Amino acid sequence: MEFRSQKIAYWYFVAALPLFLLQVVLGLWLAVNYTFTVPQSVVDVFPFATARAFHTNLLVLWMLLGFMGGTYYIVPEETRSEIYSTALAYVQLVALLLTGVAALVGFAFGWTKGRPLLEIPFPLNLVVVAGALIFLFNVGMTMFRAKRWTVIQGTLLGGLVFLAGLYLFGIPFYRNLVIDWYYWWWVIHLWVEGAWELVTGSIMAFILMKLTGVDREVVEKWLYVEIGLFMFTGVAGTGHHYYWIGAPSYWLWVGGVFSALEPLPIMLMVIDTMQHVKRRRTRIVNPLVWTYAIGCSILHLIGAGVWGFLHTLPQINYYTHGSQVTVSHGHLAFFGAYALLNLTTFYYAMPKLQGVAVFDDRRGRIAFWTMCIAMMIMGLTFGVAGVLQSYIERVLGMGYMTAQSYMRLWMGVTLFAGVFFLSGVVLAVTDLLSLRPAKVAATKV
Amino acid sequence: MSKRIAFWIFLIGTLSSSALFLFLTFDTQRQVEALSHADRIDDRVIAGKRAFQKYNCNDCHTILGFGGYYAPDLTRVIRRVGAEGVRYRVTDPGKAFANGWRKMPNQHLAAAEIDDLAAFFTWVDGIENGDWPPQDSRKRLSRAGERLVASAAASPGAAVFQTRGCMSCHTLHGAGGTFGPVLDTIGARLSAGQIERYVQDPKTVNPKANMPAQTGLTDREREEVARFLSSLK
Ligand code: HEM
Ligand SMILES: [Fe+2]
Repeated sequence: MEFRSQKIAYWYFVAALPLFLLQVVLGLWLAVNYTFTVPQSVVDVFPFATARAFHTNLLVLWMLLGFMGGTYYIVPEETRSEIYSTALAYVQLVALLLTGVAALVGFAFGWTKGRPLLEIPFPLNLVVVAGALIFLFNVGMTMFRAKRWTVIQGTLLGGLVFLAGLYLFGIPFYRNLVIDWYYWWWVIHLWVEGAWELVTGSIMAFILMKLTGVDREVVEKWLYVEIGLFMFTGVAGTGHHYYWIGAPSYWLWVGGVFSALEPLPIMLMVIDTMQHVKRRRTRIVNPLVWTYAIGCSILHLIGAGVWGFLHTLPQINYYTHGSQVTVSHGHLAFFGAYALLNLTTFYYAMPKLQGVAVFDDRRGRIAFWTMCIAMMIMGLTFGVAGVLQSYIERVLGMGYMTAQSYMRLWMGVTLFAGVFFLSGVVLAVTDLLSLRPAKVAATKV
Repeated sequence: MSKRIAFWIFLIGTLSSSALFLFLTFDTQRQVEALSHADRIDDRVIAGKRAFQKYNCNDCHTILGFGGYYAPDLTRVIRRVGAEGVRYRVTDPGKAFANGWRKMPNQHLAAAEIDDLAAFFTWVDGIENGDWPPQDSRKRLSRAGERLVASAAASPGAAVFQTRGCMSCHTLHGAGGTFGPVLDTIGARLSAGQIERYVQDPKTVNPKANMPAQTGLTDREREEVARFLSSLK
């Protein structure tokens, strides 16, 4: 830790980790709902819909906290200055956490906007917007005051402003359902395949540069190309969600062609990570951070690039749209790209924030492999269920519940893999909150 | 490649894609008016959409393919089960899904709210969205219709069974609803006469029957459907 205000990041990470754990616990409850018959009395009080709102909102909340913490960690080093206001950073953290708690309690009592993933009611939207403005102000002021511009921080700030701006499109009530979904995707798609990719590119570039000692010039050049390709394919690629909503049919072409190119920048990111690692100029201090970074780039490619590509063409999407195939992709992509990115950030920054130079990485390593293997299994079992659903329900035209009865076994296997995944998460969270110095460090030289 | 060129790749990539996207957004806004029949969105439809959101239906059901995947897609629910079918399920899900292994919560909607929901679903049903979802598509319905016409001469009873709403509750060989029992081998248990009486007034045969009396059928239709079902052994 070079700058005192980097400590802010520590509290963001500490807040994010338990939320990650809670997200996964609720995910298991969702799998229970798919596998077993939950009695009517329980369903009346705590329906699947409420649990799903918990699961997805917790995901967004912990990941955004992770991004913000990551930003507060990176910006001082990039600007070579302290964060503009530490107090504002903590005010913002508390505001967001309180919003999160209010939202969850609200959902449980039916206080919801009722739009998937964007369930937070209007008054809470306002708090989120206020929090985002404080955040952007704080980060922006730090950069302006320092007057030291780098591509990494430019991309980071640009991505965050883009991210916050898009959120606004999710707030209004839309009378027309078609228009409603049209702008819903401005938040969901343009986040994960636009703004979040910018943030990811920037954070990853920073960590790789620090870890490998590769020249900033080289890192930043690749960063430009990557984000250029992300924006080129991802923005018009939004059209892959407009095939069946009642929008004009040119979206079949625009969405299909542009989104089919979306794997390219992700592939480039893998190649460039590997190159940097190969050409490194520094000694590997904490190898686990490298493992997480490389794992992130590879699973990002599999989950988003490959799994996304599989169902992005209209001819296939007609049968898989809104099925467990979507779920399979959603899990692999979010985990591969953004859960692992956050965990990479945590594993990079937490040792420094806790004052441990070389940490004992045995627990973290087991956690990494447990989570990655379990999530791959879940991707496959959701995928099998999804293919069954597409075939039985959509191709053969048998009833929804008939298809579900064939998928039930695979949802059960998913539940099983989910328990395995949870054990990995418990381990990672505990480990990150209590890093210990490695005993063997002295003998290694 | 220099950093300068990389920068231009970024700038041109971002601007070109965004320009195309914004232009198409503008055009889509315009065309959706017609494609969604926006002129049919009245206060009832809007109230229905608000109810749909108020009760968070969308986190279990998909609509236009988006939302939770836990329950059937509602885009064509009106075509599939009719407004009556919606009312029956929403009013008392505990009863409607008593035989099912997946439950729907009873959220105690007011009768007016359910009417609004039905108005909303009726409007959604008309959205021209490339005939998605496939299972409820016109393509499939017309294929089923052709088969029906072909089979109606051979078995008028089967045609009655398919067209007069029996299948919103009963399943035959994997197709149909799940509220009532499967009727694949009903002929082994009941005679044509018994079935006819049951259809006319279920309670006279089984006082605990949940099935409503099918008063909409003509005598001839009832006779034909009973003869058809009694042949299934
Ligand atoms: C890290 C990046 C990505 C994440 C986190 C992600 C996540 C998701 C999620 C959660 C959904 C489901 C949304 C819903 O309907 O509720 C989804 C849908 C979809 N994604 Fe991605 N995605 C990513 C990248 C991609 C890429 C690169 C492609 C294409 C190459 C892609 C193609 C699709 C398609 C076609 C759908 C619609 C599925 C359907 O029709 O039901 N995704 N994505
Ligand atoms: Fe997308």
